[in-house]
Amino acid sequence: MTQAIVVEGLRKKFGHREVLHGLDFAVDRGTVFGVIGPNGAGKTTTMRCLLDIIRPSAGSISVLGEDPRSAGTALRRRIGYLPGELHLENRTTGRRMLEHFAAISGPVDPKHVNELAERLNLDLDRQTRKLSKGNKQKLGLLQAFMHKPELLVLDEPTSGLDPLVQQVFHAMVREAVDGGATVFLSSHVLSEVQQAADAVAILRDGGIVTVSTVEALRTAAVRQVRFTSTETEAHDVGALLARVPGVANMVVRELKADGHTSGTVEATAMLSGHVQPLVQALARLNLTDLVLEEPDLEEAVLTLYTAQTPQPGQSSQPGQSPGLGQPPGLGNGQTQGRHVEGAHRA
Amino acid sequence: MLYLPLYPSIGGSAQMQDLINALPPEMTKALNYDQIASGPGYTQATMFGLIGFLLMSMASIGWGAAAVGGDEESGLLELTLAHSVTRVQIVLERALAIVVRIALLSVLVFLLVLGLNGPSQLGIDVGHLAGAVLLFAALALLSGTAALFAGALSGRKVYGIAAGAAVAVLGYVFNAVGRQSPDVQWLLNLSPYHWAYGNSPAANGADWGAAAGLYGISAGLIVLGAVALQRRDVGV
Repeated sequence: MTQAIVVEGLRKKFGHREVLHGLDFAVDRGTVFGVIGPNGAGKTTTMRCLLDIIRPSAGSISVLGEDPRSAGTALRRRIGYLPGELHLENRTTGRRMLEHFAAISGPVDPKHVNELAERLNLDLDRQTRKLSKGNKQKLGLLQAFMHKPELLVLDEPTSGLDPLVQQVFHAMVREAVDGGATVFLSSHVLSEVQQAADAVAILRDGGIVTVSTVEALRTAAVRQVRFTSTETEAHDVGALLARVPGVANMVVRELKADGHTSGTVEATAMLSGHVQPLVQALARLNLTDLVLEEPDLEEAVLTLYTAQTPQPGQSSQPGQSPGLGQPPGLGNGQTQGRHVEGAHRA
Repeated sequence: MLYLPLYPSIGGSAQMQDLINALPPEMTKALNYDQIASGPGYTQATMFGLIGFLLMSMASIGWGAAAVGGDEESGLLELTLAHSVTRVQIVLERALAIVVRIALLSVLVFLLVLGLNGPSQLGIDVGHLAGAVLLFAALALLSGTAALFAGALSGRKVYGIAAGAAVAVLGYVFNAVGRQSPDVQWLLNLSPYHWAYGNSPAANGADWGAAAGLYGISAGLIVLGAVALQRRDVGV
């Protein structure tokens, strides 16, 4: 079975400025693929290339098995697109606009349209220019979903939506995928990608930093560790921690009570990789408090936003990601450079 | 419609003719007021030549600039292009919409003038009137398709409006200046306004060659607009 989207060596130049430096990725059918990256990374440009709104300068694109430029209108009938910037300033009502698009890209089941509008809590009989930003976004979602396309290309789909409607959107995505569709979406909001996507590509400055499954990202992500122990000296605790693989940014201090050493030691550190070695090490201590936090994908990805420079043409398959704790080509020096939140001095 | 019923008192009376003669000839030539002594000439000069020209051009340029350029600026073109429609189709269909609107307005003008023909004692021949309206529409369409083409090429509404306005205004200005003296008569060749109205079609019948030329150029601009949109990136 062909993959839903295959992109190889995609480059795009606007005048002298190259905004995409050779992207390679593939999206399997029936999955949700998320693209995250800072502003100006090239997410919207990539999506527009998939729809033949922008033509690539080099490289090849295959959407649902066909080249977007030559496939023409029949291909676009099978795709639902939501642009990143949606300005709807017409006097027409939402319903008429949807009918217009249904006439172009149809067929569309009107009951489905009404059902979706109700779930999204959208009044289709108001003029589009009178809708609030969130409501316009709902209308945009409707026109993308209404003809039950095989592929959904959604650029920042939840922008402007309140949390309740965001959950409706996630339900719509799940239903689409259950029906065999593929979803390709971009976002700033990492928790949304965490929730919705099976695989994630991180895009920065026109290049892919990494492609990974969400699970792999989480496994490899860095967690914060905090514990308090008694009856052990601070330097012993420090030495114990230092021997655990994956520990970095260690801060260990003695807690003082009434000016005397109390024998209570408080330590914080960042842990990347597996949890088991740390737990085994800590088991030897007399712990009074232990906190091992769920890795925050947001924090993890932000390091990638600011960390390594992406290599042109770099790609990896989902599941084989080098992981965020050890970005390719960089050793532990990378993670040790991070500022540890909550590290405090006596 | 303000102008035509006034004809008997303004154009037809002898005192008016004396007044016109008293004005500087340059001015009368520029405003085409040298014709207003006769009914058809009056209609030609005031309605087709000035106020009608102005209003129709404004409408046509607005439609032309919004059709592609304005739509792209507003982000709606990107959304439409993601649906099952080609770029050429979009340009052609929107151009057709402009043609239809101009045609409807022109028919309205024709009927109104015809209706006022008797009561205002204009004495315009119906065949000549039809020809004049045809040229009137052709002129408006030219500004509109120029706006459409510039908008399709640039993706911006403002360039569309500028191009359409240039065609209309320069056409009018070149006609006004070109009529002043034989030395600057070559300007008349550059003026679409002159091509359409040079021989005062409401009075003397249409110059069919000019009409064909104007419609031909408009059609060419539409095709160029389609090609321009087909070849470039949208929304950037």
